[in-house]
Amino acid sequence: MGRPLADLAHGSEEKRITFAQTQTAPVPVITSPEWSGSETGGRRYAPFTVNVERLKPWHTLTGRMHFFLDHDWLRDVGEALPIYRPPLDMHRLFGEPVLGADGSRQITVRYLTPHNKWSIHSEYQDNLFMLSLARGGTAVWISPGDAASINVSDNDWVECVNGNGVLVGRAIVSHRMPTGVVYVHHAQERMIDVPKSEATGRRGGIHNSVTRLLVKPTHLIGGYAQLSYAFNYLGPTGNQRDMVSTLRKRSQQVTY
Amino acid sequence: MRVMAQMGMVMNLDKCIGCHTCSVTCKQAWTNRSGTEYVWFNNVETRPGQGYPRRYEDQNTWKGGWTLNKQGRLKLKAGGRLKKLFGIFASPIQPKLADYYEPWTYDYETLINAPLGDDFPVARPKSLITGEDMKISWSANWDDNLGGAPQLGHLDPIVEQVRRDAESKIKFEFEQTFMFYLPRICEHCLNPSCMASCPSGAIYKRSEDGIVLIDQDRCRGWRQCVTGCPYKKIYFNHKTGKAEKCTFCYPRVEVGLPTVCSETCVGRLRYLGLFLYDADSVTGAAATPDPRDLYQAQLDLILDPTDPAVINAARDSGIPADWLDAARRSPVYALAKKYRVALPLHPEYRTMPMVWYVPPLSPIVDLLRDQGHDAERTGVLFGAIEALRIPVEYLAELFTAGDTEMITDVLRKLAAMRSYLRDINLDRMRDESIPASVGMSGDEMYAMYRLLAIAKYDERYVIPKAHVEQAHDLEEIGCSLDFDGGPYASESGPFGEASGRPSPVAVETFQALRERQTTGAFADSGDLHGRVNLLNWDGKGSPSGLFPEQKS
Repeated sequence: MGRPLADLAHGSEEKRITFAQTQTAPVPVITSPEWSGSETGGRRYAPFTVNVERLKPWHTLTGRMHFFLDHDWLRDVGEALPIYRPPLDMHRLFGEPVLGADGSRQITVRYLTPHNKWSIHSEYQDNLFMLSLARGGTAVWISPGDAASINVSDNDWVECVNGNGVLVGRAIVSHRMPTGVVYVHHAQERMIDVPKSEATGRRGGIHNSVTRLLVKPTHLIGGYAQLSYAFNYLGPTGNQRDMVSTLRKRSQQVTY
Repeated sequence: MRVMAQMGMVMNLDKCIGCHTCSVTCKQAWTNRSGTEYVWFNNVETRPGQGYPRRYEDQNTWKGGWTLNKQGRLKLKAGGRLKKLFGIFASPIQPKLADYYEPWTYDYETLINAPLGDDFPVARPKSLITGEDMKISWSANWDDNLGGAPQLGHLDPIVEQVRRDAESKIKFEFEQTFMFYLPRICEHCLNPSCMASCPSGAIYKRSEDGIVLIDQDRCRGWRQCVTGCPYKKIYFNHKTGKAEKCTFCYPRVEVGLPTVCSETCVGRLRYLGLFLYDADSVTGAAATPDPRDLYQAQLDLILDPTDPAVINAARDSGIPADWLDAARRSPVYALAKKYRVALPLHPEYRTMPMVWYVPPLSPIVDLLRDQGHDAERTGVLFGAIEALRIPVEYLAELFTAGDTEMITDVLRKLAAMRSYLRDINLDRMRDESIPASVGMSGDEMYAMYRLLAIAKYDERYVIPKAHVEQAHDLEEIGCSLDFDGGPYASESGPFGEASGRPSPVAVETFQALRERQTTGAFADSGDLHGRVNLLNWDGKGSPSGLFPEQKS
């Protein structure tokens, strides 16, 4: 009768997880075939262990890992296989400024919000020690070329402004950044050293103040094999990170 | 031959991800006190970068370590006794607060106490020195991940050196980017220049395990050790007026536990174990004329713990049998002397540092990969080590006094290991010519791989416990729970904070942690905890903290 999987829970029969335990610290769940990893016997988590070792089919149409998505809508837009899509023309579509320097004190750049090294949102980043081991506030990573074109030096206050909102932070000028792109690391806390912006007179925002979600038809596919909604499993891709924003040096006299 | 045991550390830089967990846990354990706000016994620097404190490697400015006099004998770079006596009150050659950074906190209280307004409140940075608002313009790790390098990178003393000496010039350009992290603690040197600099004789090197410590009772705050240490790993506590340094977590090591920085290291890149060395030869080795021969000289000091002659001599000098056993299983000995892939940091300072590093191959691998090559093929990688001179020259300035051949040898071993193991992982024929090309056997190379890649906790940390019969010698002087005023004592002596005997560090840390965990008050209540700060006093009125605040 099928494949025995009950042994995945061996050693956990007496285990109970109480609400109080979850308040104290994160508690690992008991391994079950419903999940893809196995932590039975104190083993370290690795994804798809159960699928590989116990021949459990993947939760997909074919039961295998696959890149091919055989759905009418995806085929219609030519995305049944992963393909490269160039960034949207934010100028034509949404009236954002044209990319590049325009001779004034501002430059238009691609605005990306990657995760900071080894932090999970504000965790491991937003405390006095870690801030003392970094720049101590919201930072915008800029290439030397872009910085020079708007006369920005390392640690100058800068503002990113577009149709969605405003971000105020201090510049980190580094040759690790390619020209035309800025990084504003994910979830730097707005409670820490964020002055009022020149653009609005209100408090400067967070990394996501400048971004917005763009939904396209294929995001609306549902109820079709692995393209079904499950909590924290299926959502639009991270295209809100594909944003364009103006960047300019602001007055160095900041007010709070 | 006088055999002595030394607790040593090796860090595998290829595995450092720059997460700063070691720095934070170390600070939490040891220097989370007033007076030590700027003190990082452990810090992680991004290189190329200036390090902490800024440009500490520029010994033309800071005069740390040893040099040779005309007779070829060792003398302190900061000058002999007479010179030191004339400068004893001034201690003129010191990094200033600006060379470290002005420590700050945030006005966190505002976040919950601010009156209703149009904007939500923010916590502004406040200087921990003056208590005033400040703009943060330098920190303990300002150039993290090459931040600011186009403007500030040329201030890295190693970049200066490489640009001066080498044909290829380091440029801070996107296509030529290379970087790595360098975690640093006190080197617990065999020939410590801090110890030699101290006019009070307060710094001592424990004979049992070689850990260098400062006797807080004998330290008179002359600060000569800060000048003497070329790694700038001695810090001045501006509250107690005494020097403090990395303790190698001796209370943990004595009971067989790894240091806090090792225990918490996410990348598992730290190895702890014993070295046996010949104490009679240290001074001679440190006086080796050519700085490029210092690495070999130091390597020669390290004795083979399996050699019967060494074992006999070690027994004669009272090293217990279980320590000798630990020395034979020592991972640091294996990496430094058996496989010869670990190197000392700045051997040219002549202090014989005992925290060694496996240099990183990743700057070269990353550059190769970014240029579209297969970065794990033997030929490609070997060729790259020859061709990509800039990272190699930079590493040579850090670890071999500029000798690129020595660093190339180590990098070739690491490259060969990658290629050899790739065949094993992919179930292909083992190519025994790969280990042979770097003078190793296949089995040796596999054992080295095991130690570097998958060694478990008790293989990475081989720490013999201290012996009960040595307990009295090891005791932190004056530190026990029945210490006068003990762990439950108030902060200051009868005539103010500088009077009476200073609290031992362990007691003060214990108290501070206990207070923070049990108090209901905010961590920083805004006052300076009774500390008088004359630094920014303009002479008008009384400086803040001179008299207790009126409690209303």
